[in-house]
Amino acid sequence: MIGYIGSRLLRAVVTLLITITLVFVFIRFSGDPAAALAPPDAPQEVIDQYRRALGLDQPLWKQYTAYLGQLLQGEFGYSIHTGLSSAQVFMGRLPSTLLLGGSALAIALLLGLPLGAIGALNRGKPIDRFAMGFSVFAFALPNFLFGLIIILVGALVFQTYVGASPDSFVDVFFPALTLGLASMGAFARFARSSLLETINAPFMVAAEARGIGGRRRLLRHALPNAAIPLVTLIGLSLGGLIAGSVVTEQVFGWPGVGQLLVRSVATRDIAMVQFIVLAVAVTMITANLIVDLLYLLIDPRIRSK
Amino acid sequence: MFHKNVLSAAFALALAVPLAAQAQDRPDITLAVDNLWETMDPVIGISTSGARVHYNVFDTLISRNRWEDPDGATLVPQLATSWERKTPYIWELTLREGVPFHDGHIMDAEDVAFSMSAERLWGPEPLAPRGTRYAANIVRVEATGPLTVEVELDIADPTFPNRLATPLGFVLPKHYYEEVGTDAFGQMPMGTGPYRVTSFDPSVELTAEAFDDYWNGPVPAESLTFRIVPEFSTRFAGLVSGEFDIIVSIPADQIEQVENADGVHVLSKGIENYPMFAFNMLEDDETLPDNPLTDPNLRKAMVSAIDRDAIVEALWGDATFVPTPFNFPEYGDYFDPERERAYPYDPERAAELLEASDYDGEELEWHITRGFYPNYEIAAEFMVEQWRDVGINVKITLVDNFSLAYERPFHLLNMSMSSDFSGDPWRPLWLDWGPTSSRVNASHRTYVPTDKFLELGEAFVQAQDFETRYAAYLDLVAEWEDITPGMYLWRNVVSYGVRDDLDWDPGNSAVTIFDKRYLKN
Repeated sequence: MIGYIGSRLLRAVVTLLITITLVFVFIRFSGDPAAALAPPDAPQEVIDQYRRALGLDQPLWKQYTAYLGQLLQGEFGYSIHTGLSSAQVFMGRLPSTLLLGGSALAIALLLGLPLGAIGALNRGKPIDRFAMGFSVFAFALPNFLFGLIIILVGALVFQTYVGASPDSFVDVFFPALTLGLASMGAFARFARSSLLETINAPFMVAAEARGIGGRRRLLRHALPNAAIPLVTLIGLSLGGLIAGSVVTEQVFGWPGVGQLLVRSVATRDIAMVQFIVLAVAVTMITANLIVDLLYLLIDPRIRSK
Repeated sequence: MFHKNVLSAAFALALAVPLAAQAQDRPDITLAVDNLWETMDPVIGISTSGARVHYNVFDTLISRNRWEDPDGATLVPQLATSWERKTPYIWELTLREGVPFHDGHIMDAEDVAFSMSAERLWGPEPLAPRGTRYAANIVRVEATGPLTVEVELDIADPTFPNRLATPLGFVLPKHYYEEVGTDAFGQMPMGTGPYRVTSFDPSVELTAEAFDDYWNGPVPAESLTFRIVPEFSTRFAGLVSGEFDIIVSIPADQIEQVENADGVHVLSKGIENYPMFAFNMLEDDETLPDNPLTDPNLRKAMVSAIDRDAIVEALWGDATFVPTPFNFPEYGDYFDPERERAYPYDPERAAELLEASDYDGEELEWHITRGFYPNYEIAAEFMVEQWRDVGINVKITLVDNFSLAYERPFHLLNMSMSSDFSGDPWRPLWLDWGPTSSRVNASHRTYVPTDKFLELGEAFVQAQDFETRYAAYLDLVAEWEDITPGMYLWRNVVSYGVRDDLDWDPGNSAVTIFDKRYLKN
């Protein structure tokens, strides 16, 4: 078991290092941040002044080792445009993104799991086909399209603006629905197939033979076994909470991390991009790690290895 | 006693009601913008998205009258009440008395001297390096009295006051700037303008409230909110449903949709910026060993092969026009509507010029920054077809930002040229094509000016009176057209969607101002 945990931890650290290295390199090769600070017709000496100020005139390896050194000291750098600490700006945006992502996840779970269970328990019946047809539709519909339809219908038909306004958290419903629908489809399909697999497993037949009641069989025997793949999916969704809403945030004008990321990439704000990607990577990796550890709790077979 | 209290309360109420009524009558205006520049220092933040805010928070020393003439060809006093040329090199500005900053501090000559100082704009490592261009040739700025400032230049520039209507002329409060520092100032700016910033989050919104001690009041709106809504459809939905009063950046193909919506109208304004492309005509570009564009006949053939008027008509209708080089309506007396281009659309002449060139059909690569200039990519596709018709092979390469566009090799490079600066063609013609320009010096340089161009340019810069300067300008333009280092496409256009109950007109400018001259109650 200790070996299992150790190897997972090592994998997490290596993944993190690879991610931050790739981001460090790509953000520098996909356009000069100094040129983004200067107007398009700026004389070369203005661009050079910015390069010196940002330390971009140093060789790449020097910039990289300096960056790693700062990371180890908990220094995440400052936005080249605002001079604010990148961690501080990120934390300012985080609550609204978590609210959006959390609400979307809640919608996805509350709609998706029952839909999958209904499908599984009514396998092959029209209600199953309807439930699965709906989840495929929700999964396949690009969420920017769904968002735009909601916004335009709201404005043109109901004279109501359903986009975000920064001080009203009530507005989370429509963006969350937009974002949640796609994962709802995935949850429903996963829940259905996983439940079907366990319902038909030999141990369920054995339980029935022992005379255990239908409800108890479903709740105590089928659900815990069906939960393993779902835990993986939910875990990954938790990891994607921060970065998963980029498109929805753009469409609704939701002031979260996704919008900040798009903007920071567009303006070559290196410290901002690096920090956001770092935060996303850390969340993803941690979520994966937790999922791996949860397996130990749920599945005794892994524990005994 | 009781009566006395009631009476005085009633009296106070009677006095207060008209004031409150006046305040309530003023609208709270929300603008949905595509983005906001990250800092509101009005020089570090020089940009369209910044300028929408700057002129509401800060005042310039001199202003261009766009409320009576949309092109703003005349200068009017703003924070400076008068300006005098004491010697050919020295200008004296007299400042308006008793103008308060938003914290009540009264503006004086020290604030102006600081705002234009070497430390801030034009010294060796200035706080706001983007101001270098506007502050060119300044060698001394000095407060010579409580309300007088002297500015000394190293050239005799008769057009200098025009520059004080550009971001160079914004007056910042020295005491506050020095107290909080450059970065913090950009996050919570303070000026003398009609609106005082109350909050700013560069990835969400900026809010400002009416500054009722404004020297040129009354301020017509209660508050301004600039909210970032990146997606056009969302901006449009917010305008139609009344959430927003004004939206910016309507894509050219969506203008009709906005016009057809109830309760809103569209303002399309030509602005002082001209999208164009430059020919890479360098002989020593190592990435282009046999650069065919070093041959002027090929460049002239390419210009003659394009029917720009038809393209502009198709893409913009009558919202804009194709400029004759450097003949811009914002230049007052310099503008001559009758003057024609040296190389208009003429396919036969294009064929002759091409015949006279050494071009043998090789592919020319055109670097274009995706989505930066409205309609540019579509126009480029038309142009590539027209070039193909005469036998010139051009390939478009779309990239995501300018630094990628600048990466060689390229034969043609997209860019635009702003015309505001001196009130005459000095900037677009000489500063943007002369020996100190980025076309000549930057890593993405595209040409080397001819000796004749340099000579004529010097004559233009030296000219002091209008007639001499105008004649020198015509000679310089003729030489530019003879070199043909690039081609202008059209005057840039900005579009606003505005709710019908708002009586607002910004003039021909991408700058949005909401003082009483532009916004009527």
